[in-house]
Amino acid sequence: MKELPELFDLRVKARALAYLFEAGAALAALTLILPHDQAFQDFELSVVIGCAVVIGGLVYWGADRIAEWHLHVALVAGVALLSFANYYSTATLYSLLYTWAALYAFYFFGTRAALGHLVCIGLGYGLVLALRDPPSPEVRWLVAVGTPLIAGLLVVRMLDRLRAKQAESEERARELRESEARTRLVLDSAPDAFITLDAEGVIRSWNRAAERIFGWTAAEAVGQPMRTLVTPPEFRDRHDERRRELVEGSGSGETTQFEVELERRDGTRFPAESTVSKVDVRGEILLAGFIRDVTDRRRQQDEREALLREQAARAEAERVAEMVSGMQLLVDAALAHRTLDDILLDLVARVRAVLDADAAAIYLAADRTLSLAAVSGGVPEGQVAEPVPFGESFAGRVAADREPILLQDPAPGELPYPALEELGIDSLIGLPLLAEGDVTGVLVVAASAPRHFTADDVNLLRLAADRVALAVDHARVYEREHRIAETLQRSLLPERLPRLPGLSVAARYLPAAAEAEVGGDWYDVLPTPSGGVGLVMGDVAGKGLAAASMVGRLRSALRAYALEGHAPARVVEQLNRLIWTEEDETQMATLVYVVVDPVAGALRLVNAGHPPPLVVADDGVPQFLEDGGSVPIGVLPFPDFAEVSVPLAEGATVVLYTDGLVERPGEHIDTGLDRLADVIRGASTDPQQVCDRVLRALVPEGGAPDDVALLTLRTIPMADEFHVDLPTEPEALASVRALLRRWLGNVRGSEQEIAEVVTACGEAATNAIEHAGAGYPFEISGRVEGRNVEIVVRDFGAWRSPREGDRGRGISLMRALMDTVEVVPTSEGTTVRMQRTLQEQDANGDPQ
Amino acid sequence: MDLVQLEIEEHGAVVIAHVRGELDLAGAPSTGEAIGEAVPTSAHALVVDFSGLEFIDSSGIAMLFNLARRLGSRRQELHVVAADGKPVARVLEIVEFGRAAPIHETLDDALAEVSADGASG
Repeated sequence: MKELPELFDLRVKARALAYLFEAGAALAALTLILPHDQAFQDFELSVVIGCAVVIGGLVYWGADRIAEWHLHVALVAGVALLSFANYYSTATLYSLLYTWAALYAFYFFGTRAALGHLVCIGLGYGLVLALRDPPSPEVRWLVAVGTPLIAGLLVVRMLDRLRAKQAESEERARELRESEARTRLVLDSAPDAFITLDAEGVIRSWNRAAERIFGWTAAEAVGQPMRTLVTPPEFRDRHDERRRELVEGSGSGETTQFEVELERRDGTRFPAESTVSKVDVRGEILLAGFIRDVTDRRRQQDEREALLREQAARAEAERVAEMVSGMQLLVDAALAHRTLDDILLDLVARVRAVLDADAAAIYLAADRTLSLAAVSGGVPEGQVAEPVPFGESFAGRVAADREPILLQDPAPGELPYPALEELGIDSLIGLPLLAEGDVTGVLVVAASAPRHFTADDVNLLRLAADRVALAVDHARVYEREHRIAETLQRSLLPERLPRLPGLSVAARYLPAAAEAEVGGDWYDVLPTPSGGVGLVMGDVAGKGLAAASMVGRLRSALRAYALEGHAPARVVEQLNRLIWTEEDETQMATLVYVVVDPVAGALRLVNAGHPPPLVVADDGVPQFLEDGGSVPIGVLPFPDFAEVSVPLAEGATVVLYTDGLVERPGEHIDTGLDRLADVIRGASTDPQQVCDRVLRALVPEGGAPDDVALLTLRTIPMADEFHVDLPTEPEALASVRALLRRWLGNVRGSEQEIAEVVTACGEAATNAIEHAGAGYPFEISGRVEGRNVEIVVRDFGAWRSPREGDRGRGISLMRALMDTVEVVPTSEGTTVRMQRTLQEQDANGDPQ
Repeated sequence: MDLVQLEIEEHGAVVIAHVRGELDLAGAPSTGEAIGEAVPTSAHALVVDFSGLEFIDSSGIAMLFNLARRLGSRRQELHVVAADGKPVARVLEIVEFGRAAPIHETLDDALAEVSADGASG
């Protein structure tokens, strides 16, 4: 059984007992004073009363120091004194005092002790009754003992209840205390500050974490307004506002979270997360809040964000690098025979992919107008975009402003082409393509939801735009230069080879397979004043426009020098002087110049650093002409160009070529030369067939790595007919005479006759040169039938009617020297037809 | 090697121009000019020596006529040397150059003629 708690402390019990003694003594004294019967033994009774008063006094005064057992002894003593008093007097009053003693025992002592005292009281009272002779002792005994017993039991019962109630309330109080302690413990050990405020914002509680975080102790903080203690001045109004909102808010127990900045005692600030709830405690509104210092979390978050940003930046950098290298590849590709259109298409597709855009377009600018040059994404067939002037529409504004523009929700008119409307484009970026400060075009990228361009995309695209501009610029410059160089080179190679009597010539020119730039290879065939034919095969170092224009100058100069009748070595010397005095000191060229003289049956050769020409005799045995080699032109100021003469039998073939035909990477040039000799050995002697055969055998599938030029010439017997085209230059007259002398030699005319025919023919040619349109060649054809010689000179200029004076003398000469002379002027030119019958010759060449 | 070569020789008051090679449109104008400049006003006569000339055409003839006109206006004599039977002489004959200036077989003949004129004149 659980021991019930003591209701009264000892002092109360002692004093109650003391009062009981004094009251009993007073009642006893009263019976003594009041009239009483004789049976009273007054003296003894007085002693008993005195004892009771003394004991009562002792208990009262010693109440503070008394022990429980003292009370038990005093009570037993009191019952004894009561019994003595009852014995010495006969008053029934004493049964009341017994009841008081029993009630006292039951009231203040435990039930067991109380019953002990009741037994004691019963014994005392029974003893008194037994010693005296009461009228009905059993009844009085029963009344005297039964009354206090029943009263005592009632008191005990009542006391038990009282005690149980008190125990219960004490238990509850204890539990409450324990709970509070636990809560406090929890709150104190919490890592977050826990603070409660009243509706006015005054701090009501402040846990240990709050002390740690803020630096204020609970004693200092409680009673202070939160507003001034920890809220930085600039946030105080907001603090008040939030507090009011929370207090006036409807819900109780709802939590609200804020990010706040708070101040520590030392004035430092920290970011905090505050979780506050409104609590209604018996009608009093409190605000309970947890405050967490999120400095670390913020720092971690910042670090994480920085890391993410760094990762993103790195990814972006890699992406850009990849894109840039991709674009670089395109720029490189621009140098490999690709058209501008191809490059633009590649660029636009790549930009679109890099930006994850839905469409991209490149405009090219010309005369402050933009034309759509390439698009990627959503392009329907057959839609033609109108040119956009600078300043108009989206692209035009970008070009005019020369700044990138980011446009959200563009109007349909702003889109580069109408089909984009169907893609639902809602975001456009336009960037100017700048080359050396000029707007060369505009790059536009377009996106539809969910892709949405931002300023970051603009920056990324800026890099792309630079590359695109560079590539476009390169491609444009390249294409322009290539076009010019190609045109130039085409104009530099003979459009058609002269048809020369007694000579068959063929030539080929193959540009390199993967070469964007025009090479410096060139060849030429020109009649020489001595009646021979000059063959030129040259290779200017370098490529492109510079090389092509150098070729042009060398070619013109060589023709001029050759037609002046200079010897081959002298011609090449002149060329060397020309190239040596060039401002560009790096200019140089290799060159082989061969003059074939079919009449003399020989060729004269100068070789300035070029691969050796090849001569194939009629029997098909090839032989390289290694002699006569010297340095390339443009290398030394006054080199000695050796000229060698080589016999050339009728039917022999001369082959000239550039290194592109024989040189292969990683291979000795002799291997290539051997290969060429093998191909030509025993081959057909027709120059056209030789050319085809050589190219077929030596140029790899898909083209040679370098330009290839090839020129072959074969001497053939002079036929009865000839036809030759000659330039309308005075220098060609010597060629005409040489040619005619050689041809007429075949016809076995007399020296005099030949001279006269040559003179007449020269007059016709002079007329053709003087009057023909510049740049057009004139034609001479001859035919022999028996002793009859017919020569036709045809030009393509406007003939002037013969007039007196010098020109008239020309016609006169012709008429005097030939049998018939017929001049036929037409709108296209003039034809002079002359005829003469030669005298029969004997074997000595003398007229018969 | 130019097609036409010119060599000027002064023989007292007589200027001799040796023209060799072939004289056509390409060389005649410049040759004529060079000869004209080589004859000072003080010279008595010019002898154009075509002994070494292989070929002449109307351009060369025009050059000669021009020289003849120029010298005539300055009262200077022009003599031409061209061997008979040669193509050059044939051409001179056809264009009747003899009417403009005397044509001699040899240089010596020409010089003798000049001296005689000079002696008589």
